This record gives sequence, C-alpha cells and structure tokens, in this order.
Amino acid sequence: MRFYLVDRILELQPPGRIVAVKSLSLAEEYLADHFPAYPVLPGVMMLEALVQTAAWLVRVQTDFEKSLVLLREAQNVRYGNFVRPGGQLVMEVEAIEIGAGVSRFKAVGQCDGQQAVQAKLTLEHFNIGDEDPLRANLDAGLRTLLRERFRLVRGPQALAAQARS
Amino acid sequence: MALSRDEIMEKVREALVDALGVDEDEVVPTARIGPDLGAESIDYLDIVFRLEKAFNIKIPRGDLFPDNILTSEEFVQNKKLTEKGVAELRARMPHADLSKFEQNPNVDDIADLFTVNMIVGYVESKLSGAAA
Amino acid sequence: MRWIWIDKFIAFEHGRRAISIKNVSLAEEHVHDHFPGYPIHPPTLMIEGMAQTGGVLVGEAFDFREKVVLAKVTRAKFYCHVVPGDQIRLEANVIGEIRMEGALIEGRITRNGDLVAEIQMMFAHLDQSRAPLELGEDNFVFTEDFIRMLRMRQLNHLEPPSAEHGS
Repeated sequence: MRFYLVDRILELQPPGRIVAVKSLSLAEEYLADHFPAYPVLPGVMMLEALVQTAAWLVRVQTDFEKSLVLLREAQNVRYGNFVRPGGQLVMEVEAIEIGAGVSRFKAVGQCDGQQAVQAKLTLEHFNIGDEDPLRANLDAGLRTLLRERFRLVRGPQALAAQARS
Repeated sequence: MALSRDEIMEKVREALVDALGVDEDEVVPTARIGPDLGAESIDYLDIVFRLEKAFNIKIPRGDLFPDNILTSEEFVQNKKLTEKGVAELRARMPHADLSKFEQNPNVDDIADLFTVNMIVGYVESKLSGAAA
Repeated sequence: MRWIWIDKFIAFEHGRRAISIKNVSLAEEHVHDHFPGYPIHPPTLMIEGMAQTGGVLVGEAFDFREKVVLAKVTRAKFYCHVVPGDQIRLEANVIGEIRMEGALIEGRITRNGDLVAEIQMMFAHLDQSRAPLELGEDNFVFTEDFIRMLRMRQLNHLEPPSAEHGS
C-alpha cells in the first residue's frame, strides 16, 4: 500500500479552498485488518486524507517552497458514517491562515453526501535542510517529485478550471 | 470550600471549550450545547467526563443529558413528548427552563434545553448536595 | 502493510492504564512515501497507535465482547518527529471510568523520555454509535488473530504501570 491519501483534486482556489477525493478500493491490503469481513476506511486515514488535501493547498499557495508538510495538531476530529470500498471520500478544506512555516484549516470529509469526518488542522512546513543541514541536498529532488505528483492528481486542471470560472 | 457560581461557570466554560473546540467567548450562559456550540452525540459524553473530573463529582448516565427519556414509548409518541414525558423531563432536569418547550414538546427541540446555564445549575446542585 | 500500529504491551492495569511500544523501521512501506528520502513516521499513524492502545484498554474492560471504535480525537498535538530506528512508548490513561456508552482516554507518546505527542480521544461501542448496516455477531474489531498477535489474553499478567515505566 502507498501512503497517498489524495487521488484527485477537484477544485483549487488558493489561498483559501481545495476540494479533493480519496477513492477507496478493496485492493488496499490494510483493509483486510480493518476490519475482517467489514472493510472500512480507518478514521485516521480519513484524517490523513484531510491533512494531505490541506498540504496540497499549502504547496500551491507557497509555490512548493517547503518540501515537507506535516500535521502538527488536530482538534475536534469527529467521525460520522463509514467509507466503504467502492466509495469515495470527498474532502473539502478551507484555510484559516497559511503562514511561512505554519498553517491552519477547517476540514470536512463526506461520503455519499453524508458527513464522514470533520477536523481542525494545524500543519507545519519546513525543508529537510532546516532540520538536517547535512541532507539539505534532498529538498530539491523532493520538491520536483511533489510537483510531478501534483500533475498526477490533476492539480493543474483544477487550477485551470477555477481560473476559467 | 464551596465554589461560587462564577467559578463554576469558568470551569464549565473550560470543559466546553476543550470538548467542543469553540472559542471562550462563544460559551455564553444562554448558549445551547447542540445548536449553538455544535455538540454532536459523542460530545455529550466527552462533556460529562470533563465535568466529572473538573468538579470531582459523579454524573450517572442520563442525569445531566436525559437521553434515555427519548427511547421510551411511555414518554415519546409521534416525535412529541407525552404529558408523562414532560413531567419526567421536568423531574430529571430541574435546572432547565421548560416553559417554552412544554407548549410544543417536539423531540427535535429537546436540544434547546441543554444550555450552559442548565449545566452550571446542575453542577451547583451536585456540589451543594455533595454531602449526600 | 498490516493495520497494526503498536508492537507489544509492556504494562497493563485493567480499566485504568495501558502502555505499549512501537518500533519504527525502514522495513515498513509507508515511511518511504512519507517522505521519499526523508522518512518520518506519520503523526496520524501515531494517533492510530494510541487508538489501538486505548482501544485494547477499553475493550478488555468488557472482555473484548464489544466492538470498540474510535469516535473522536478531541486533540492530538505533536512535538517532535519520529524516524526509523526510534522506538516510541504509548501510554493511555482512562479519564474517569470506562462506561457502556464510551470512554475518554488521555494519551502520551514519548521516545527515550522526550515528549512526542499528547492525544485525547474517545471510544464508543459500534452497535451503540454510528449507523451500522449489516453487522454480524462476530467481533471483527477484536479478532482472534489480533488478540493472539498482541497477546491480549495475557494482559493482566503484565506488571501494572509503575515508576519504572515512567518516561
């Protein structure tokens, strides 16, 4: 399994808003444990999907300036309906503020129009070089990789659609 | 050493801010836990645990938020509370203001009764009756 | 990748407190995506580790008969980064007591005494909470496999948490 929790960006309105999707498939092996005979997207994976969605907004807004974007704090994460294989979690994230090194968001995930998860998030952004000067050379490569992945999740299309509307 | 109503309000406010993630200034005495402060079903239990810890009291199930009234046919018919239901509610929630509610006792409106004031009143009476 | 985010319980006190540990290893797949070349154990998976630690503590109180699920994370705050080669210690404490309606857990994660995270979370029993559809009789949350892997039937033979388990 790969730790990518955003499959496609649907809407992108920097600096304030992003809508993305995580599609859930039975092919994701960890589902065999969660739960046997009753596979559902684990709550923390819903949270990670919200975090990664917010992270894309940070990256676009700051032009991928910092290569690492990580959850620093989550508040009032509440769960509702489950997301089952074949279903999609639609994540809607609104930025409260995006700073140079820290950002805050309100985030909601829905499945079939029903609320599955909601949370308040604080993210931190930094470069590898900030934490480990000896490996600062990794930042450039990671940034390139992330820009590629942004293309993969149809980020530019979402941006263009927003520009047209 | 008895706590004043203000001191109780302060600790109740802290518990609600922690449990619900609302701002301090949203927690006014007339604020309704559900409709105004956004509490959902799991949050009510979170609030109970925090109040128990903050005031060193025991809050048995249904004592503060009498959810079990709603599941009884004796008390609820056609999504409205029966006369018996209203009487039971009044007995279980002496700190709630039922005057408006009892004119049209819809089950859906019960959330209007759970206000910050109601909680403060409940804690006050628990603390003053603590010797019992 | 298995969905088990703790490795072993090291201390247990029925209805009150449980301590587990997790090794973070380069052999795990997910760290290579998070991030390529600079692996960091994801904070959300540490929340899951605490959920599994707390979940077992709450579940054991009912002899693993109920389907205990995570209902809410009131707050999760992270103070430093955990990387492969680290071992984290996850401690879950019950606030108040475990009830049929649910439980509130206060959790603390440390690494060699350094504070990694503080997490507060609530658990509920599945039948009583979210709208489930066709739930069978079996407890798919606490399966025999899970119970065996984490040696959950021997929990009460572990030492209760004491000073030497302090961070």
